[in-house]
Amino acid sequence: MAVLQKRLFCSAVPKKWPVKQVTKTNFPESLEEIKRHISSSDFVAVSLQKTGSFSAPWHRLLPFDTADTAYSKAKSSAERFQLFQFALCPFSLENSKLVAHPYNYLLYPRDELKLGMPSYSFSCQSSHLTSMAREGFDFNACIYHGISYLSREQETAAKIRIGNPSPSTLVVDSSFAPSVADSIFMERLKSRVIRWKSACQKPKDSRNEVLMNSLRKLIMGSEYYGSRPSINLDVCSERQVQLVLEVLREFSDELVPLLIPAKSGGTQAVRVVLASSKEDKEFFEEELRCREEEENKKFRGFREVIDLISASQKPVVSYNSLTDFTFIHSKFLAPLPPTIDEFASSLRPVFPHVLDVSHLMKVVRPLRKVANIPVAISYLNNHFFAPVDIEISHQATENEGRNHGLNVIRICHLFAKLCSILKIGSSSTMSGNDVLLAPALEECTNVFNAFSTSSEESIDEDISVWTESTRKVSCEHLVFLWGFGSGTTAGKLKSLLNKSHYVSSKEFDIRLVDKSCAILVFWQPGLAETFLDVMNNSEEITGSLRELVSEGLRAASYETYKRVCKLPIWEADLGESLDRALEDSDCLTEAHSKATPKEIYWSNDDMINLDEL
Amino acid sequence: MNRHRPTAAALSRALSRAFSASASAAEPSSASASSFPQKLVTRSNFEAALAELRRHVRAADFVAVDLEMSGVTSAPWRESLGFDRSDVLYLKVKHSAEKFAVIQFGVCPFRWDSSKQTFVAYPHNFYIFPRQELPTIDRSSYEFIWQTGSIDFLARYQFDFNACIREGISYLSRRQEDEALRRLNSGDEDESSATCYNSKDAGDIPLVAMADILFSERMKNRLSEWHDWLLQPRNREFQFQGSSNDSKQKFQTLFFMMWPAVNLIGFTSHQLRLIQLVVRKNFKDLTYVHVKGDNVFSQHLVVYTDSKDDRDLLIKEVNNEHRKRAEKKIQAAVGFRHVVDLLSSERKLIVGHNCFLDIAHVYNKFIGPLPSTAEEFVSSVSKYFPHIIDTKILLNTHQVLRQRMKKSKTSLSSAFTLLCPHISLSFAALESYVKVEVEVDDLRSSSWNSGAKHDAGYDAFMTGCIFAQACGYIGIDFKLHSPSESLAENEKLQKHINLLYLSWTNADIIDLTNGNKVTASVEYSQKKRYSNVVFENVVLIWGFPSELKARHIRECFSKTFGVTSVTFVYQMDPTAVFVQFSKTKLVSDFLSLMETLEKNNDPISVLHPLSELLKGGNTRAATYETYKQICGTPISKVLFADQAEAFGAKRKTDFVESSKTAMDTQEDKNPVSENSVFVDLLSAPWGEKAAQAASNYAGKTKPGMIDNLENDSFHGCLSGDEILNSVYAAEETQLVRTS
Repeated sequence: MAVLQKRLFCSAVPKKWPVKQVTKTNFPESLEEIKRHISSSDFVAVSLQKTGSFSAPWHRLLPFDTADTAYSKAKSSAERFQLFQFALCPFSLENSKLVAHPYNYLLYPRDELKLGMPSYSFSCQSSHLTSMAREGFDFNACIYHGISYLSREQETAAKIRIGNPSPSTLVVDSSFAPSVADSIFMERLKSRVIRWKSACQKPKDSRNEVLMNSLRKLIMGSEYYGSRPSINLDVCSERQVQLVLEVLREFSDELVPLLIPAKSGGTQAVRVVLASSKEDKEFFEEELRCREEEENKKFRGFREVIDLISASQKPVVSYNSLTDFTFIHSKFLAPLPPTIDEFASSLRPVFPHVLDVSHLMKVVRPLRKVANIPVAISYLNNHFFAPVDIEISHQATENEGRNHGLNVIRICHLFAKLCSILKIGSSSTMSGNDVLLAPALEECTNVFNAFSTSSEESIDEDISVWTESTRKVSCEHLVFLWGFGSGTTAGKLKSLLNKSHYVSSKEFDIRLVDKSCAILVFWQPGLAETFLDVMNNSEEITGSLRELVSEGLRAASYETYKRVCKLPIWEADLGESLDRALEDSDCLTEAHSKATPKEIYWSNDDMINLDEL
Repeated sequence: MNRHRPTAAALSRALSRAFSASASAAEPSSASASSFPQKLVTRSNFEAALAELRRHVRAADFVAVDLEMSGVTSAPWRESLGFDRSDVLYLKVKHSAEKFAVIQFGVCPFRWDSSKQTFVAYPHNFYIFPRQELPTIDRSSYEFIWQTGSIDFLARYQFDFNACIREGISYLSRRQEDEALRRLNSGDEDESSATCYNSKDAGDIPLVAMADILFSERMKNRLSEWHDWLLQPRNREFQFQGSSNDSKQKFQTLFFMMWPAVNLIGFTSHQLRLIQLVVRKNFKDLTYVHVKGDNVFSQHLVVYTDSKDDRDLLIKEVNNEHRKRAEKKIQAAVGFRHVVDLLSSERKLIVGHNCFLDIAHVYNKFIGPLPSTAEEFVSSVSKYFPHIIDTKILLNTHQVLRQRMKKSKTSLSSAFTLLCPHISLSFAALESYVKVEVEVDDLRSSSWNSGAKHDAGYDAFMTGCIFAQACGYIGIDFKLHSPSESLAENEKLQKHINLLYLSWTNADIIDLTNGNKVTASVEYSQKKRYSNVVFENVVLIWGFPSELKARHIRECFSKTFGVTSVTFVYQMDPTAVFVQFSKTKLVSDFLSLMETLEKNNDPISVLHPLSELLKGGNTRAATYETYKQICGTPISKVLFADQAEAFGAKRKTDFVESSKTAMDTQEDKNPVSENSVFVDLLSAPWGEKAAQAASNYAGKTKPGMIDNLENDSFHGCLSGDEILNSVYAAEETQLVRTS
């Protein structure tokens, strides 16, 4: 401990890293700054503060999860919980110097537009809130001054709901071919527009101005849009919108069409605004653009920052990318799709490069089991010479007391150290692109993509990285066992099963997943199937296994576990969930296509430790 | 953090004492200071406040309560709908009580002071928070939902979330306490325990490393030295031979209870394991004892016992000690439940305002899991709280009070303003007004205003004032009322006691004494317009194309089964509708037709009027019974279609089929007779106007109904009644919370 502290002290890290705290009040002015920092940096690190993680021991990511089940778990947690803090740090690496610009945004899903968005309700775990409180998190600041947001999908829905007119280009479908009826419609429209236009452009007779105006309004539906005259043309279909736009093309020098959305989607009317000259028209269009921009900012709130990162296409560094990006996707993009493949392909255009530090850590062997950033950093400090100078762009702010979001700097720091140790981007100046070319990073880039494609090759290549005690096993060799009495240990179960003579102890290993359920791995193909057959045909079953089954022991294949995660059935005990999945499957017609068997690692020291659970 | 708290708490306590002392010295209980804060209780001053509250509750004539929660409904469709059946209503309340947290608990004992002819109220406002104090309780009770709308509401009234989360008092329900004690007895709780290591417990670490062997040898010598010294007749100062100061510090001789012992300090856990092994192997009369406590108190000892009996005694003592410690910890974790236990054990009259949900929360948080039916629930509630009175029921059902209320709103704050202007607006007190004085610590006032609206303590105070005044109006004269006579036994209240609104929207009342459900007669409530819903005729449809609205769906059915086939279509949320057929048979006709249409893909099926409804292939249908089951699931999805999906409706046929069987049994049991007269709701003369009003309204009052999808089915396109009803429902739930 003493050594550790001394090391930390030596490593030229100022005790206090100033992180810029952003709330509703200083959010607008911070935008330009962060935009500048993002574009001048090579990477963007993110770190999220969530209101909860997993509700039961087995809900968290376990060593035997495949990409699919891992995604289901991450999805369920991202859908339920909320983000209260989003720490963000654009940074660059130069000769072991880390230049960082850390920001910490307080978020709260306030219904700013009174539309029931962004979220009707969200879950919290009191343990998370308590530990946040212990770190001095200010819940009042979060709820009163947190920045709200809308996801991309919610923004689209909100715009329709609010019904603000949106400018439309006069470009018409090239396949456009008007029918006879269309021509008649267009002729009438055209004459109406001409009549209205000429009425508006007539030299003004000041005496009757008021009267004429109201008459015009009555007869022609003429109104004013700001200071400019306008007219509303009702439409019944998108086809008619096309026709109206076609007509208006002739007058494109003076007329600006605005589409008024209908409450149920689609377009309700086209509002035509008359500009007094070509210059005036350009001026008006500029005005519209500005107004839309303002409007959008109001809608997006914090998502503006997400969009900035996305637009920069800079690699995003995260500690646990699957968890972080399921949250980011569900809060700021759209609801999470059902499968990891869809998720990966939906995320790719927005964040093309996601670097996962926890994956990168696995390359340094002893770090494989380290699950926490400060420990990892101090380990690296003690065992490697990789000094990293941290330079933080802003000075300590006036809010001395509040300095949250330090974690994001730790992530940057860890990433920088790992890059330096692994000689990634060894040139003196490394840019994001150099780094992405490094082979060691392939593994940690877009892990969900790598996950989702059948990635046997890449895994095979990397096998040397793992300890010799890790073995690759197919999911088909795994069996879940539950229904044994509470207080049973893995060792007891193993000896009981061994005694049953159906399996010999050399052929399998067993671990407890939670207090209700154990996982059994067979080392040889076919054994799992045989075992399940024996378990499920109680006719043949004899001896001590029969005794166990009579006591309520049950077994199921990995397929059942997959179904549990996919449905999902999140009971507190895994055994309970498996029971329910089996019940449900009874009335399920077996329409499930046999998915390609996935392989996972079975590592002896990746023991699922009940103490940790 | 932990280290700072006691000092901070002591400081604040000292300050408040100083403040109250000086204040009371300057002005001994006067009426002039009408604005002082109410009693705020957090974990720092809980013990003291509890002792004081105990005194007040014992002396009280009744106790008013009010709760603030983190939310009420987890999804728009979970709100109580105009025509929900009472069993479904209960399931909705149950879900709410299970999923949301109580964050503030107001308790206000009222005592009649016969010398001053006034009530004295003692408002207490407790911040509570479900902090996990014991490690082994199930995690699910420590996960709860925030409803953003409710949080906004609380924030509007300056709720202090930091106080709640950081300083809130935690609690254990009776069930959780029993569970923790049971675990303690069965011995599977190993945390914070003291253990004697007998022969087997120590892990078998083979001594392989040279260092380990040397260390063990050294320890063996040390211990035998100490052992020999103990047995020497002359007791001189014990000194390890040639040992450094360091090892002296590591081996401290002391008495453990009544046995001599060495306290092992500064060893690593590996070293301790080795010592344990040494003790076990080499010394019959030494025992290794580990007293686990808080970090500071954790002790590792080697204890000397002179016989086997003595040793057994030691083990027994250690286990007792451990047990006591663990029990104390559990006792401490009970926390706020002491207040609820106090209310229950004193068997006082409990007064609440529209408090069915409050009682459900109290039950779920402090007693145990909620039973699955309303009947079981009320029968166990009455065991704990024999006398509950709901002021909202009292105001709505008592003839005299109804006249006085003159059909004005019976929400808490408006009833308070109307009935108690002398308190709320500091009007000069007329003779007919029941006087209420407030006492907080040593401050007293007859016209008190805490300035804190909508917090639980003040709301409880308002509820109590309303009740006191209502008693005055119905002819209970407190001046003649003797202290021995319980208010709960008063015959003037007998017709109104132990009745609660299962749902105010539907005016469904439940009797706590027998579980009977009564519906308030139509006279009281015009809202009860769905009283004639025939549940056997109702089908629930969800997952249809999002552009379809109730109107379209009605058309689909009219085209298929005839114009009179459907009596109403109610849009529950953007993804689901209720359809009531005019005949029960039509339900099964529809379900089987739906199935055939789905199987066939021929032109006739495609052109069928119902195919519009089935477009997209995700449309599902089920009977009202399935709806009830779905309401009963613990899952909380915002959209009904997602909820139903999560419920396990993997294949539509399952649903149709299961609902069919449900139908058959329904029909057997229940030949549609008593309920078969229905009112065609859509032909109500005021429908159109209401629709107008409602659609103006809808945008404001029902933000929650709108989902994040592109459709906007909820607004504008419903028929009048449906909107109005949902608006009512929303408004009412809002009011319930507001009050």
